[in-house]
Amino acid sequence: MHTVTKSAADQVRSSFLGGPHGFGAWFTSTDHKRISLMFLAWTMGAFILGMTLSLLPLIKAVGGPGIGNGILLQTLTYQRVVMVMAWLVPALPAVVGFFVLPLQLGAKNMALPTMSRCSLRFYAIGLILILFSILLGPVSTGWTLDSPLAMLDTGAFVTLAFGLFFMGASWFVTGINFVVTVHHQRREGMGFFDMPLSAWGFYLSGYLLTIAGGIFAIVVLYLASSRAFGGGLFGIEADPMAWRTYFWFALRPVTYFALVPAVGIISDVISGVARKASAGYRTLVGSMIALAGIGVVSYGVSMVGQGLSPAGSLIFSFLSLLAAVPVALISFTWLSTLYRGSIACASPSTFSIAFILHAGAAAVLGLFMASPSVGNYLGATMFASAQLDYVLWGGVLSAFFAALHYWWPKMIGRKYNDQVARIGAALYVIGLNLALVPRLMMGTKGVPQDFAGLVPTAIGGAEVSSLGWLFLYSGLSVIAGNLLVTVWGDEAADTNPWGASSLEWTVPSPPPEENFE
Amino acid sequence: MIGSANLSAWFPEGASTHAMGVDEPFYGIYVAAVCALILTVGLAVIFLWTFLRKKNDPDQMPSTGSNKILLGVWVLGAVLMAGFAFQSGIPGFVDQNVAPYGAYQVGVTTHESGWDFTYPNGHVADTLRVQVGQPVQLTMTSADVSQNLSIPALRVQQAILPGRTTEAWFEATSEGAFPIFTGSFSAMTHDSLSTALMALSEADFAAWLATVEDIFAGRTMAEVGELLYTSQGCAVCHTLDGNQLVGPSFKNVYGFEFLTTDGQTVLADDAYIKESILTPNVSVIDGFQPVMTPYAGVLDDREIEAITAFLMTQSERGDTGGHSEADPANESGTAPEGDTDQEEK
Repeated sequence: MHTVTKSAADQVRSSFLGGPHGFGAWFTSTDHKRISLMFLAWTMGAFILGMTLSLLPLIKAVGGPGIGNGILLQTLTYQRVVMVMAWLVPALPAVVGFFVLPLQLGAKNMALPTMSRCSLRFYAIGLILILFSILLGPVSTGWTLDSPLAMLDTGAFVTLAFGLFFMGASWFVTGINFVVTVHHQRREGMGFFDMPLSAWGFYLSGYLLTIAGGIFAIVVLYLASSRAFGGGLFGIEADPMAWRTYFWFALRPVTYFALVPAVGIISDVISGVARKASAGYRTLVGSMIALAGIGVVSYGVSMVGQGLSPAGSLIFSFLSLLAAVPVALISFTWLSTLYRGSIACASPSTFSIAFILHAGAAAVLGLFMASPSVGNYLGATMFASAQLDYVLWGGVLSAFFAALHYWWPKMIGRKYNDQVARIGAALYVIGLNLALVPRLMMGTKGVPQDFAGLVPTAIGGAEVSSLGWLFLYSGLSVIAGNLLVTVWGDEAADTNPWGASSLEWTVPSPPPEENFE
Repeated sequence: MIGSANLSAWFPEGASTHAMGVDEPFYGIYVAAVCALILTVGLAVIFLWTFLRKKNDPDQMPSTGSNKILLGVWVLGAVLMAGFAFQSGIPGFVDQNVAPYGAYQVGVTTHESGWDFTYPNGHVADTLRVQVGQPVQLTMTSADVSQNLSIPALRVQQAILPGRTTEAWFEATSEGAFPIFTGSFSAMTHDSLSTALMALSEADFAAWLATVEDIFAGRTMAEVGELLYTSQGCAVCHTLDGNQLVGPSFKNVYGFEFLTTDGQTVLADDAYIKESILTPNVSVIDGFQPVMTPYAGVLDDREIEAITAFLMTQSERGDTGGHSEADPANESGTAPEGDTDQEEK
């Protein structure tokens, strides 16, 4: 293992962080590591905004001051739009992927550096437009932008739609960049099956982002034009199922199946913290490919109970249940990797267990949704939205934290306090499950999705759930604060603190500007 | 809940024949899912605890691979679980989607101000009353935005979409009042559109039905049509004074000829009016958008005849029987298509 000889400040000075300073240098940078850190700042901003917007319905749910339903619906719309479009979909690829992928492939940068910058700028424009639409006139269509509601809504829908267009364009450009990078930037001699598993995860999510981003960006413009000019594919006279079909075809693979890159990340983290090669590399690769494919072909299961025909419901339910096989293969391979490993008592291990719990919960909740009679009853209830919450706040967030705590020393060049991180992780896990299990229960009692606090029966369960959110937010604050203070710390990180074998651990922490000098 | 007190963590107490078809698969999957989750997470925690890094551990542990037999058993377990989830839900799903022959028909229309439940006798109410033990089929459409009909106690959930008719059926098994949720809120007022289902005994339902006015009793067909013009929301888009709103005015429609958006000339006779009510967007009058909600399944033939009779009273050619003055068929005494349809019924 590399021995630390320099102070953290010295290490930083000789790294990409010690390069050109100032707003202009960062604004015009095409370095994948700087893009990643800027994405971290933007996506965390979006995440904090989403968290803040979540507070209003929670206050209402526990009997807080009278807030009109109109404001609540607008809040819920933006909370979901920001959390899903600006965090759930892009967070893992944009923050972790941009930083790690070229390093793992042995490359100096992404294959299309200008497009990396483009991804970030499209994202920023998209988020700003989404927020600008709140100032112009908040929209209350719900995050799925149901077409008749979109036509009748009195808010600044067209501005929101343009924001979402840029968000979709950002996913599209990111996806293309990942695919091209994997094809053209691998170090000489590195075959596809020599790539680390997280590189595979980002490669596959590149395809999903390209498909989803391209389609979503276009159809949301069509929706905006129907709204602005009347008529068209999604106009007031159009069949609302048309929009729902396009929407879920684009969004399901990158929302519910945002776990594909997470599987790659957790596979690498488990191998790293257990100091043991994966017990089934090709099994995991095949399972990730299968999951990505099933994510695309089973899109219709999100419309069961929401206007999909009975035959369509049966077909899509069956297709989504096929995911049980890759999920079983992945979980067994991880357990086999942990078995007889040398597992570090460290926060990435804790977050990996949290991922297995939360992504596992999201997967078994999928069984309920894919059981024809049960899914037909629960499809439009809070049970369905709680499943998405398990993906968002559970699976993807756990993987995000596992990745940050695993690669943070590489990204920043400084150590963090691992004990504090594990305390934050415990609060997060307890809080999340306390928050979401009551929502599952309320869903079976028929409470409609995404309307916590608006329906009388939600009161009671909502109070327990709100307590859970309090724990969850406390945990998140501890985790974020613990990482943030390292920026001012002076405890230098090792080059390879985990004893892992992939290429990113062969370069100094943080890496130099050209990565492999 | 509005109904009986229910202390169960999951589901309200079942009050329809559908409950079994949803609850049994749910609890089966629930047991399997919790076991699978505890097994997986439990093993991960046990391994983490057992194989925590020790000081004398090597830098890289030897790869163990996966035990193929255990892997096969593990995957087989997952496949069986998925198979159980799918198979156990099929009988209930078929039951949810196939209404018994002769079910009591109620038309449902949702709109900005709430719900309209239209009974076979023409009565329109904003709460749904049904008889316990009698299958009830709902034929639903929305006048504006997409909604959901959700009656949790009866395990009924179905989308209600503008421009489409969807169906749901149920047979209530116990008396009581049960909430009806919608998955959405008014786009304009943001008010909750929730309402209630009253499941009544046979005697109570019959007594209630007797108190509900038969709109045809003591009225001419034109008077019933005028009543429906108001209660079904026609007045929102169609004036009686010649002013054009979203749809053409009902003044001087019947018996007149119009140019359609596809360049055809149509005579507004009985047949055309019936078609315009049931499938309004097939032949749209030029200058208007095809935005009207179809009323197929909401209005029956007798109610459509009543509306037609009302339109006759609003037209200078109302007494022509749908014959255009310019129509040579009229001059030759040939019965127009609309009249023929009526005679064949």
